[in-house]
Amino acid sequence: MSDLLILWLPLAVGALTVLALLVDALSPPPASGRAVGWLVVAGLTATLGATFFVDVAGPAAHGAYEASAWTLALQRLFLAAGVIAALGGVDHVAARAPKRAGEYWLLLLASITGMTLLAGARDLILLVVAFELMGIPLYVLAAFAKTDGDRAGVRDRRPSEAALKLYLVGATSTAVTLFGLALLTGMTCATRLDALTATPLQPLATLGALLMLAGFGYKVGVVPFHMWVPDTYQGAWTPFVAFLSVAPKAAGVAALTQVFVLGLGAQHDRWLPALMMLAFLSMAVGNLLALPQTDARRLLAYSGVAQMGYALLGVAAIGEQGAAMTLFFLTSYVFTNMGAFLVVHAVAEGGGGHDLDGLRGLAGRAPGLAAALLCFILSLAGIPFAVGFWAKLYVFLAAWQAGLGGLVIAGVALAALGIFYYLQVLRAAYMTDARGLAAPVVGAPLKLAIGLCLAAVLGFGLWPGPLVEGTARAAHALLTAAAR
Amino acid sequence: MTLAGCLTLAAALFSLGVYGLLTRRQAVAVLVSVELMANAANLCFVAFSRFRGDVTGQALAVFALALTVAEVAVGLALVILLYRAHGDTRVDLASEMKQ
Repeated sequence: MSDLLILWLPLAVGALTVLALLVDALSPPPASGRAVGWLVVAGLTATLGATFFVDVAGPAAHGAYEASAWTLALQRLFLAAGVIAALGGVDHVAARAPKRAGEYWLLLLASITGMTLLAGARDLILLVVAFELMGIPLYVLAAFAKTDGDRAGVRDRRPSEAALKLYLVGATSTAVTLFGLALLTGMTCATRLDALTATPLQPLATLGALLMLAGFGYKVGVVPFHMWVPDTYQGAWTPFVAFLSVAPKAAGVAALTQVFVLGLGAQHDRWLPALMMLAFLSMAVGNLLALPQTDARRLLAYSGVAQMGYALLGVAAIGEQGAAMTLFFLTSYVFTNMGAFLVVHAVAEGGGGHDLDGLRGLAGRAPGLAAALLCFILSLAGIPFAVGFWAKLYVFLAAWQAGLGGLVIAGVALAALGIFYYLQVLRAAYMTDARGLAAPVVGAPLKLAIGLCLAAVLGFGLWPGPLVEGTARAAHALLTAAAR
Repeated sequence: MTLAGCLTLAAALFSLGVYGLLTRRQAVAVLVSVELMANAANLCFVAFSRFRGDVTGQALAVFALALTVAEVAVGLALVILLYRAHGDTRVDLASEMKQ
């Protein structure tokens, strides 16, 4: 098959970016923002639909990119996240930044292009370039809230802080990743992931691999590289944070799986202790620091740090089962966490602000939103029968079977601790009095976005079977590709 | 100059960048420090390429340059944003959200 055909999906998203640029350039500003937003929704939905009809598999560009079940599963996840992010943000972006709305959507599409490319990257060069294509637009998007205070006549300083923190951490991690990449590729004389499997790691190459692990760790936001997470989540637009908190993280963990499980799986004695430490610290610090939070966004930020710790457990399990369960966990996390952030956004826009206190009396004011929040929070906490329960169960099982018993016990204990702060959110929504807060008015696109997340959380929660089979197939496709 | 010499130089450059990143307070100086770290990586790429007779490293260096340039362009824009918000470009000004 020709390379172009195999690369169709990243190319389609790239073409959509160009189309959005044209529409934005040719239509007058106030109308163009919403138009481009809807174009993004339609284009990404069409691409997502097309993935069910276009059946391609195989390597392209001399094996740097590979279309397989693994690639496709991740790409569908990113496209779905993009659709939901676009639906959840279309009103907000058009209202808050009518003149810059087109740019917002272009940057979002560029980031999604990077993600779809990253999913198929089987060469370290492409992987790093795709990672940056995903990451650089996010720095700009984080700063979009800069004009929020203008109407009130005050300059809001928090967006600059949010973006700068994300940027400094991101740029540093890029430099660290590049240095690690230089040592790793230099010492092993290989950039293809399947060529790395056969190479013994000398000390310098090991150092390179560990530096790459640290660089990816920064982006995924695992402890001790998590400092930017709560501040960026608090300072940027919440519909954007809903996207930032899931899609790039899922892409980062997928990249970790590709590099370390596929590429360096055979030499796991060199890097596994470091990865296990990152996983443990994330679970511990994330869960403990989430306890005292009063801002819903900061609480979800620390909860997200802990969730990434669980995801790393699946990577640490090394092997098909681990990779499959990581993918299952990421799918669950994307829909659950996005949904939770979108509900927080809907409530905040309704006048309640982002504090947990702003959720007060939500069950009485907006029963639908409260019920959705209940499902998302229960899923994050890992209560049956939301998808988050299966996700946690499966990664813990995979790690247990890989002989990581101690880590699993620590993870279960910390997850149980985490239930406390998740219940605090629910307590605010269900057990308190509204005291002067009115029912939030939620626009139709945002409602649809929350509904889609809810459908995924409940659907995969009640019928996890097809998703389990799909992720198992995907992991099989990823890890047998090297042998082929 | 040997490969070991080049790598030592690169490691020194990288460490210098890390030191600057941790101690400098001016945003532009922090960006320069990050650039030092990235360029240490480029030096490694080119050194390995030269001594191993493998052109991949040179290609990688070009990619890495393009990536860091794109990143610095965004970084300088954010420094301007920081200046507009605070009237100064010290990075420690941007720490209002700590709890």
